[in-house]
Amino acid sequence: MPERVPTVSQLTAELAAADLGAEGALALAPQSATRPRPARRALGVLFWVSAAWLGLMVLLAVLAPVLPLKAPNFQDYSVVNRGPSIHHLLGTDDLGRDLVSRIIFGSRPSLIIGFASISIGLVVGGVMGLLAGFRGGVVDGAFNAVSFVILAFPALLAIIVIEEFWGRSLLKLVILFAFVATPQLFRVMRATTLSFANREFVVAARALGATTRRILLRELLPNVIPAALSFALIGVALAIVLEGSLAYLGLSIKLPTPSLGNIINEGVNNNNLSTNPYIALWPSVYIFLLLTTLNLMSDRLRSWFDVREGRL
Amino acid sequence: MGAPAILEGCGTSTGATVATPGVSSLKPRSGGTVTIGVNSEINGFLPSTSHWDNTGLTYANTVFDSLTQVAADGTAKPYLAQAVTPNPDKTVWTITLRPNVMFHDGSPLNADVIVANFEALRASPLTAQAVTPISGVAATGPLEVTVTCKEPLVAFPHYLATQVGYPVALAQLEKNDTQHPIGTGPFSIVSWEPNDHFTVQRNPHYWRNNLPYLDSITFKPIASDNSREASLRSGTIDLMLTRDPHAIQGLRNNPGFQQIADLHRSVGQTDSDFIILNCAAEPTNDITVRQAMAYALNVDELVRLFGAGVTTPNLSLFPPGSPYRPSDNGYPTYDLNKAKQLVAQAAPNHGGAIKLTLATITDPRLLTQIQAVSNMWELAGMQVSVNTVLQVEFIDNLVTGAFQAYTDEMFGASDPDLNYVWLSSTTAGGPGSIALNFARNKDDVLEAALQEGRTQSDPAARAAAYQTVDKQLAKDLPYLWVSRATWSLTGSNAVMNFDNLTLPDGSRAQGFAGGIFTPTPMWRRA
Amino acid sequence: MARYVVTRLVQLLIISFIISVLTFLLVHLLPGDPSVAILGPNDTPQARKELFAQLGLNKGLLQQYATWISNVFRGNLGQSFLTHQTVTNALSVAFPIDLELIVVSQVIALLLAIPLALASALRPNRLFDRSATTSTFALLSVPPFVAGPILVLIFAVGLKALPATGFVRLSGGLGPNLKSALLPSIVLAIGSIVVYYRLLRADLISTLQEDFVTMARSKGLSTPYILLRHALRPSSFSLLASAGLAIGSLFTGAFVVEAIFAMPGIGYQLVQAIYSNDYLMVQGMALVAAIAFVVVNFVADLALTFLDPRVRRA
Repeated sequence: MPERVPTVSQLTAELAAADLGAEGALALAPQSATRPRPARRALGVLFWVSAAWLGLMVLLAVLAPVLPLKAPNFQDYSVVNRGPSIHHLLGTDDLGRDLVSRIIFGSRPSLIIGFASISIGLVVGGVMGLLAGFRGGVVDGAFNAVSFVILAFPALLAIIVIEEFWGRSLLKLVILFAFVATPQLFRVMRATTLSFANREFVVAARALGATTRRILLRELLPNVIPAALSFALIGVALAIVLEGSLAYLGLSIKLPTPSLGNIINEGVNNNNLSTNPYIALWPSVYIFLLLTTLNLMSDRLRSWFDVREGRL
Repeated sequence: MGAPAILEGCGTSTGATVATPGVSSLKPRSGGTVTIGVNSEINGFLPSTSHWDNTGLTYANTVFDSLTQVAADGTAKPYLAQAVTPNPDKTVWTITLRPNVMFHDGSPLNADVIVANFEALRASPLTAQAVTPISGVAATGPLEVTVTCKEPLVAFPHYLATQVGYPVALAQLEKNDTQHPIGTGPFSIVSWEPNDHFTVQRNPHYWRNNLPYLDSITFKPIASDNSREASLRSGTIDLMLTRDPHAIQGLRNNPGFQQIADLHRSVGQTDSDFIILNCAAEPTNDITVRQAMAYALNVDELVRLFGAGVTTPNLSLFPPGSPYRPSDNGYPTYDLNKAKQLVAQAAPNHGGAIKLTLATITDPRLLTQIQAVSNMWELAGMQVSVNTVLQVEFIDNLVTGAFQAYTDEMFGASDPDLNYVWLSSTTAGGPGSIALNFARNKDDVLEAALQEGRTQSDPAARAAAYQTVDKQLAKDLPYLWVSRATWSLTGSNAVMNFDNLTLPDGSRAQGFAGGIFTPTPMWRRA
Repeated sequence: MARYVVTRLVQLLIISFIISVLTFLLVHLLPGDPSVAILGPNDTPQARKELFAQLGLNKGLLQQYATWISNVFRGNLGQSFLTHQTVTNALSVAFPIDLELIVVSQVIALLLAIPLALASALRPNRLFDRSATTSTFALLSVPPFVAGPILVLIFAVGLKALPATGFVRLSGGLGPNLKSALLPSIVLAIGSIVVYYRLLRADLISTLQEDFVTMARSKGLSTPYILLRHALRPSSFSLLASAGLAIGSLFTGAFVVEAIFAMPGIGYQLVQAIYSNDYLMVQGMALVAAIAFVVVNFVADLALTFLDPRVRRA
């Protein structure tokens, strides 16, 4: 299988090991995605600003019901499609509902769907991927085949049928999204694990008599997590946007309950894109900010962790 | 739209404005092709087994002809038929066909073909209901068909202008072919790929002299209103059918386009937009609840919010100016306090609270509307949840009565008798059974009035009967009226004369209405 | 090599079989049945019974499946209950659309993502990298059903340079064909650009740390040469793997774009068929889409083995 084949760099590393011996080879083990830093540094201002912003987003979402926000479903026909003003900081939609409130309340199901489904996918798919990549053999074959079947099956059909049969609710949407995300994360983890599984440091650890558990946790996991996180991060954004596509088909959170996806959808329909682009704009800005903060934080975290790994 | 007529004669540039949209007195140019964007796809070309919505009937007007057509004065005049004459008490109608008319496959149009078509309609579950008033059809001459009805059927010629009045060739009937239409129409089929296009080409042997002018027409189904409008504006299509108020408003008074909207110009009635209530299910089976819903509905506000300045409120089955519309039908007008009172009054009989679900098909415009409607009902004290339903399930639920409140759009007809099956108490079904009277409203006075309208020849008596119908509906409230649906046909300035059909007797046809038009007289500038 | 191909072909067959069973079951789980779509309000019990007999729906599930699958093997995918259009005919319309949209969109995505990634990997975390990351994220935040109408507004309605809807076959001329595919492909490319850019960038950065790159630099080779000749190839493995996944899923995932641009691709037709309980159409389309997915990934894996010199040695 192609994924089992070591990379060119590993070849070089093996050659080097032959010259330098095992210890020397360990010294050359490539692990970081950034240049090794001479000393540990603080996480940096940018990181903490991002973390604060993320914290604020989450806090607003969690505390929404007790915050002094206007009711998200309250329709005031005298202020339909207004732009930002003192009374409505982000403006109103085509039914006169306050956009600040709708977006904060709308972030609740979207954040849950995004984070929960990807987390489940990361944990379930990740563990399976790690095991499959490391163990190989029947386990790998079986997991691989199952993931392939799930991936090949038109998700659309499954989602429509399941929602029609089972009803729509936030929990069901999370499960459906997790189901779609898991095989993808499985494959990512598996591929990354494979590329590390045959590296000299793992071989060395095995030779030293380390248990499988120790190898998985101490050697492989720290190297595999960065790639997985990178994928997962985009996955969160994709999930939130995908929820919007489902709203387009009328299969997402039931109206009038807002979600970022169905607000964007309402912002595109009924000529709203021309008459009141704010409806579609603000949720998109929200998603963009979420994505950027997550990325900044994960990048910073990754380089911060790598410093540790770089040491011998 | 205010350009002087003299401009019409100046040059043939596509930019030149047209004085009267859809009507041209210039000399028609033969040849060319037009692309028309329609809002839906049909499921076949056999009138006995296919659903023909406005797209279906528009398609049908290219490859088929109807036996009669509605004229500008509201009567149904012979079209493919040469004459449609009744006996004195209107129980026997004689259809006389034109001589020397051929189907696209060369077979002749004669009495046997018409009889075979009628038999197919009666045999098919889809259309059998529509032809129940007819007891017998027989060929009484090579070009003469006699239709006998169970009771006087005054509106018979109008029926022949609907789906049941389009004859197809024997070859198509015998094969039960829904994909390859063989008709007498001005165009014949070139290809049909569902969801992609429908293309037709000129019929050189068309029975109307010098018609049609175009070499071919291509129809493109574009489901998204937005995309269809963009297609017209960008020149991807030449002509567009739409009922989206925003698209209509956006293209109104635009010198680059010609727009016809049917709100104020059609005879008979166009579709109404309304909310249908199930009179056989909790809690909408309670007249007090239905009254509360009517009083709580601020129709003016709804139309202001969603009508884009194109539609107007219409609290009646009939449009303003119709002889069938009483001067005051007694329909409840907006009164929130009254609504609250009625809700408080009715709630104890329904477990303390009025709870219901208002649903619609997955249409963004309707979806926003029902959120407003449910809000208005909640202000009156009801508990309303909102839902979307797939189109097929929607129809199914209407038919089996598995709904409480739905939005709906219906009742477009050139004669009120055409709506008999939807309003009659005889089709209201028993509990748990199929019913064509979806609202399941049983009312003896209403039924008697419908019967009167069906069988009475005297226009004054008919008018009185249908006015009673309107008043009863306002009393029973199975339908909460909102507005009349407005369809529009909008085209670039290169497409000429698309709304100027002349009937064989020289009078003008009704023209574009209900989203249906006849492309026969259309031509294209160079 | 041959053994590898054979193993994958067997996998293809098994997976297709499983998918066919799953699709069949799921479709029959849908509430309702085709009778409403066909008979409409005249859906009386008598009429339904007759219709079911006519359509072969009155037999047991197992028998229906057996009939369907044996017909599939003979090349007969059945026809739509509603329009009587054969599934094969519908696919002959849908497949070229999806194929072209996928090819053009992935070409656009790669043409943009690769240079961006190369430039970013050279100087990670500096200005160019950060702005590229930010802009690609901005793209990702715009769903296809927003991007589509905006692009149409600018290029079709505004500039009248491209059609707003409709797919022109190749038989209608290469120019019109490409013009009709351009806007929807751009919309589809948006999601892919971000994924490819991020993946390639990450891989490139780690590859550039490798010793052989240091060695190449110490030999005095120029940066572009190193990038393109030495770094790009080993960094493209995950790109290829994820491209396989992305492309494969676009066969059904493009439905929003297809709806906006009125193109009856597989995704759009599948949704229409699902909504009217058009069983055979759903089953046929889903099966073909799944097979397409597996084949595409098969090809991607094959490409991987060619790209990696080790396999040829083995």
